[in-house]
Amino acid sequence: MFFQQLINGLTVGGVYALIALGYTMVYGILELINFAHGEIYMLGAYLGIIFFAFFTAAGLTAYSLPLSLVLTLVLSVTFCSAYGFTMERIAYRPLRNAPRLSPLISAIGVSIFLQNYVMLTQGATDKVFPHLFGDAGLTLSGARITYLQIFIIVLSCLLMLSLHLYVTRTKMGKAMRAVAQDKVMASLVGINIDSVISVTFIIGSGLAAVAGIMVAMYYGLVNYSIGYIAGIKAFTAAVLGGIGSIPGAMFGGIFLGLVESVGGSYLSSEYKDAYAFAVLIVILLIKPSGIFGKTTEEKV
Amino acid sequence: MKRSFMALALALLVFSVGCQKKEEVIRIGVAGPMTGDQAKMGTDFKNGVALAVEEWNAKGGLLGKKVTLLVADDQHDPKQAVSIANKLVNDGVVGVIGHFNSSCSIPASDVYNRAGIPMITPGSTNPQLTEKGYRSVFRVCGRDDQQGKVGAEFVTEKLKLKKVAVIHDKTTYGQGLADEFKKFIANKVEVVYYGGIIQGDKDFKTALTSIKEKKPELIYFGGIYPEAGLLVKQARELGISVPFMSGDGSIDPKFIEIAGASAAEGTYLTFSPDARKIPSARSFIENYEKKFGEIGPYSVYAYDAANILLAAIKDAGTTEGKTVIDKLHTMEFPGALGKIKFNEKGDVTVSPYVVWITKGGKFEEYWRPVF
Repeated sequence: MFFQQLINGLTVGGVYALIALGYTMVYGILELINFAHGEIYMLGAYLGIIFFAFFTAAGLTAYSLPLSLVLTLVLSVTFCSAYGFTMERIAYRPLRNAPRLSPLISAIGVSIFLQNYVMLTQGATDKVFPHLFGDAGLTLSGARITYLQIFIIVLSCLLMLSLHLYVTRTKMGKAMRAVAQDKVMASLVGINIDSVISVTFIIGSGLAAVAGIMVAMYYGLVNYSIGYIAGIKAFTAAVLGGIGSIPGAMFGGIFLGLVESVGGSYLSSEYKDAYAFAVLIVILLIKPSGIFGKTTEEKV
Repeated sequence: MKRSFMALALALLVFSVGCQKKEEVIRIGVAGPMTGDQAKMGTDFKNGVALAVEEWNAKGGLLGKKVTLLVADDQHDPKQAVSIANKLVNDGVVGVIGHFNSSCSIPASDVYNRAGIPMITPGSTNPQLTEKGYRSVFRVCGRDDQQGKVGAEFVTEKLKLKKVAVIHDKTTYGQGLADEFKKFIANKVEVVYYGGIIQGDKDFKTALTSIKEKKPELIYFGGIYPEAGLLVKQARELGISVPFMSGDGSIDPKFIEIAGASAAEGTYLTFSPDARKIPSARSFIENYEKKFGEIGPYSVYAYDAANILLAAIKDAGTTEGKTVIDKLHTMEFPGALGKIKFNEKGDVTVSPYVVWITKGGKFEEYWRPVF
């Protein structure tokens, strides 16, 4: 049973981690908690359903299922990245030098706007993603893992790995780290801060979109309000790992998923959500900056 | 600035005058989850009642006036239910058809009772609703103690099982139903797992993994179709192949859509007998499907509830709450589902539950207890 709960936890944890990355990257650079990030994830799930339905209607799914899935993924990620980019341009950039509360309120506004926008255009009822893989999967020593779960775990690991490489090995990644450390200094050495911030939002939103599609496929059920609770959970994961830290968000997400499922199985699954937050409180009491968080020194 | 204020004040004055000139109509309310994940049920209510109202208006209205329908959305949230109940009362409705969730109907019934207007629910099955002693509360569906008993009889008499797991969604309806079921199988069947899940949650694999370990022969769920669908789907993904059983809250085509036809196959559901097999419901079903598409499980209940309310007003000759309520307690009404008569508590005197099964992506009647 432990092994089974491990698989359940890893699947959900991978999704949390992907969303948490968006929170943590934006926080690292702008010190802004982007409350609209959960909504981008929800948009990703909706766009996934819409594009997939389109490809099915166009006959592409019948011709090649993997191709239409890949196209769905690519298109939704592109659209969500565009949403993230536009969101930053419209709602956050004009407030860059405003007091810190202003962009926070703006973020809440964007979140409410996007939720209602989806509710009004797509309707308030649940949307169902078609059952593509059924319950096909493998049985490993009594535990069952579906192909979809394998796909989710592998894809989230791959994305996290490539993000890590991107941030540590590329020029843009270096620029991101520089901006995160000190915006003024970075701009003095010739880094275009605006484009670094845009890229951050584009990557974060893209990851959230992937998480959204995976959840739509995994649970098969999507509505306009899923972004809220997922956003809260991912935010918890980001804080748990140390907000601003990329490995922290990855670890926090997976850890949160595992705590939920293992705690739910050995204690009672009725209070699944409570365990996650209880762990958060304990960790913040011991280490207020989160597991991977660095205690920031005053910038001089 | 001053001038625009004056213009605004003037406009408001005109508006309030416009409001005062009320048209002579009889207003009835329909309340239920019109948006959100249970919107399908609310829409079924609304359509059923709308059809009844339309038919009355086509026959020349009620007491010489036109009947209008006020639709209220409780979002299956008890707080929202109380607030819209107050709004309906303020809007001057003479009776309310609703709500769907027992957790909404029970607090809302306080409001209607205080206002002295009748409330007839087409779908709230929790016993508490009519056990509070309000004379103004009625229901045209059965009660969970009757439903849980039929479910329990089916498990013990027909399937002859020894071990079951019981899950509920921690709502008044869901937990109430699960508890009734558990009460009636006690001593005959071992309950190997009993626990709750969170309504609105999407991941139930944690609970299901614990259940799998206990090897039950059937999983009983007290709750509504979105969670029921996800539970069945995720159970099959975990390799749990035993049948599921649930109550009237899960009997909706969306359940099969969410779970997937192959996963939902063989799920048992307690519900009232098939409306399609009742001759008196035939014309209703025809008219309904012409207008709104396929009937939902509660469309006919909503239709009957609206008709009995309007008939009681007609017989009473007034819309005055107390007289209408007295009339509802004494009258016998030939509804689409058959004869409806309320007992002292406001429950229907006859409410047979039967067991349905999911087969090939459809629901069909499967087993009847010996009445």
